Amino acid sequence: MLLNAIIIVLRETLEAGVLISVLLSVARHQQLARGAVVQGLLLGVAGAMIYAVNLQTVSEWFDYAGQEVINAAMQYLIYACLLLVCLSIGRAPLLPGLALQRLLRLVVMLAVIREGAEILLFYSSYWHRSDVLLRVLTSGFMGLMIGFSVGALCYYTLINLPLMWAGRVQRVVLTFMAAGMVAQATQLLLQVDWLPGGAPLWDMSAWLPESSLLGELAYATLGYEAAPTPVEVGLYVGALLLIPVAYAIARKWRTGNLLHD
Amino acid sequence: MAKQVLWVLGVWLAGTAVAQAAPVVELEIRNHLFYPAELVVPANTKVKLLVINHDATPEEFESYELNREKVIMGNSKAVIFIGPLAPGEYPFFGEFNMNTAQGKVIAQ
Repeated sequence: MLLNAIIIVLRETLEAGVLISVLLSVARHQQLARGAVVQGLLLGVAGAMIYAVNLQTVSEWFDYAGQEVINAAMQYLIYACLLLVCLSIGRAPLLPGLALQRLLRLVVMLAVIREGAEILLFYSSYWHRSDVLLRVLTSGFMGLMIGFSVGALCYYTLINLPLMWAGRVQRVVLTFMAAGMVAQATQLLLQVDWLPGGAPLWDMSAWLPESSLLGELAYATLGYEAAPTPVEVGLYVGALLLIPVAYAIARKWRTGNLLHD
Repeated sequence: MAKQVLWVLGVWLAGTAVAQAAPVVELEIRNHLFYPAELVVPANTKVKLLVINHDATPEEFESYELNREKVIMGNSKAVIFIGPLAPGEYPFFGEFNMNTAQGKVIAQ
């Protein structure tokens, strides 16, 4: 039970932690107010509470597909936001600073709502069990701290990169994380049969099990799936390629406009 | 182009319609245990899993092998589609009560 609490909290915080740390490094490099990320975090915690309390109702929407549809919608929205963030880091940014700042707040909020609600639901079982509550909370805190440490490691690695490399590395990391969101969302829609399922294209679980620490990390950062179905692979690859293609087009267009001005 | 989109949409809807006819298998949760702990399902067929949680507390149905993850609130039910699965065994567990809530799907 105590190990459970560590694992559950860690799994949920790992993904949000890495994402938040990358976005914090973006905020720092773009000289934006990092308070926006903190606001996103607080809004996300509040949102997670509201979501957790209403999950019963949400679950029954769309003929019991509500939970998946809403979660997938949030993840596709995170993808769209991260696409815009990627287009706004670099020499010809798409969005001005203030808009980018608002976008960062939105992404952080969405990421925390989804992951946070699950942690809150796990704890809801222990709320009235005063005999174990404290121990479960301490274990969860350990999980949170491990997730936080991984995030801090990412953040300090990114902010210490030479400036000419930072933007590129941030874009690459965000692109993979964004495509991972699409993979996870697609998985959810398969689960409720909104997208067609099928036999997996391959199975890598023998050499990188999803349940291993590395597998979990790969899942959180890349959307790793040991045995993906054709639809998942198709949408993942599409999502992965769209960002660099959109970046190249936007950059060409922006620099073209600048030359005309 | 519009014709192609309609065609894709048609295939997708047809696929969804077929799925609605998927066989239903029931799984119950009581006292943080799955009943039955072993679910036999037809291989190479999409199956609709109806999970009924009789506990007052939420549980998370989770399986790495089936690629499924879903929170089932206390005293409520949930639907999870699985497969089509190749013949074999696919373990699942309740993430909120990993020590007790264990089971497997047997596709044959």
